[in-house]
Amino acid sequence: MTQKYRAAPKDDLIWHGLDSMTLLFHRPSGITHMLADPAPAILEVMQDAALTATEIASRLTASFDVDSDVDAENIVVARLEELSGLGLIARVSG
Amino acid sequence: MSEMHQIQLKIGPAAFRIASAWRRPLEELEALYRDFPSPTDNSVDFTVRLEPEKPWRRYIRPSVHIGGDFWLPDAAPLPLAQGLLAAEMGMNLQMALGWRRHLLLHASSVEKDGKALIMTGLSGSGKSTLSAMLAERGWRFMGDEFALLSLDTGSIFPFPRLISLKNQAIAAMQKVVPDSRFGPEMKATPKGDIRHLVPPKAAIDRMDEPARPALLLFPRFGYAPELREMGQSEIFVRLTQASTNYVALGEPGFHALTRFVDKVPARAMDYRSADQAEELIDDLWSKLL
Repeated sequence: MTQKYRAAPKDDLIWHGLDSMTLLFHRPSGITHMLADPAPAILEVMQDAALTATEIASRLTASFDVDSDVDAENIVVARLEELSGLGLIARVSG
Repeated sequence: MSEMHQIQLKIGPAAFRIASAWRRPLEELEALYRDFPSPTDNSVDFTVRLEPEKPWRRYIRPSVHIGGDFWLPDAAPLPLAQGLLAAEMGMNLQMALGWRRHLLLHASSVEKDGKALIMTGLSGSGKSTLSAMLAERGWRFMGDEFALLSLDTGSIFPFPRLISLKNQAIAAMQKVVPDSRFGPEMKATPKGDIRHLVPPKAAIDRMDEPARPALLLFPRFGYAPELREMGQSEIFVRLTQASTNYVALGEPGFHALTRFVDKVPARAMDYRSADQAEELIDDLWSKLL
């Protein structure tokens, strides 16, 4: 079974771009998160779907001109774990 | 419970009741706030209580404990001679912990041409002294401690309480302001030497008038004069640190602060004297749209 992830519902998040970072206000917790790339891009490509890290990495490649390799996937996995610790994405059983 | 003396004060949008076991701090407050209006309908937002630490200490080496609607358990008691400082600290504490009608920024502010200059920074940055100094040089004083950012309109509302001058700032202001506007000098308080200054009359008369924020400065005293650009992310983080109620306000606070960061130009400003600061500020101000 491969781990899948799903982003927090769209209505729970308010996005605001600053010069070098992205602010995400998470309505249910009232917490403001300040995210650096590629975390905002990961959330953006996930949309409403439950996806594996591999699928997310390939969506990033398609949308953001990122090289798709094992390294990229490892980076995505690390960011997914961080975002899930923040409550911005959830692990779903696949 | 023994009898408490009390007075009511209105400072900008906030109304306070100050109750005290002793008359003296209230008499000092009354004298310094003589030009301020009383709350109109007897209703207050906050109560501050100055009480003896222990019942017998009303008389023997009297020591003032600060209480009120909001309080910090580890606030150290002050000697009675510093009762005025205790009252001011008590009012600041109520605002910092309890105010919800605006986003509260730990910042000084002054106004000119309907536009507000906001100065924020750590203690010792000189923001309070700068606001007091500019208030004697053609700016309207809006506050030396808290700038109140409207959640609806994005305007800054004044909170022109007494200006709390510390250490060297006392002598600097004594050169330009008549003695009648000063409170008693309190030596060696937990915050150093303190002397309160009554804001200029115009600041009190116009304390209900907001202004559109036009410039945000992060002053730093003691360095060669210089202005530096700052990134929005750094500005946002520093303002959340400078706000005592950003978290408590939730979504409205987020919208108010992001709008502020988007719209208000900001600079870090180093300076070694009020004259240098005024020159840098005048130059920036003249270039604003």
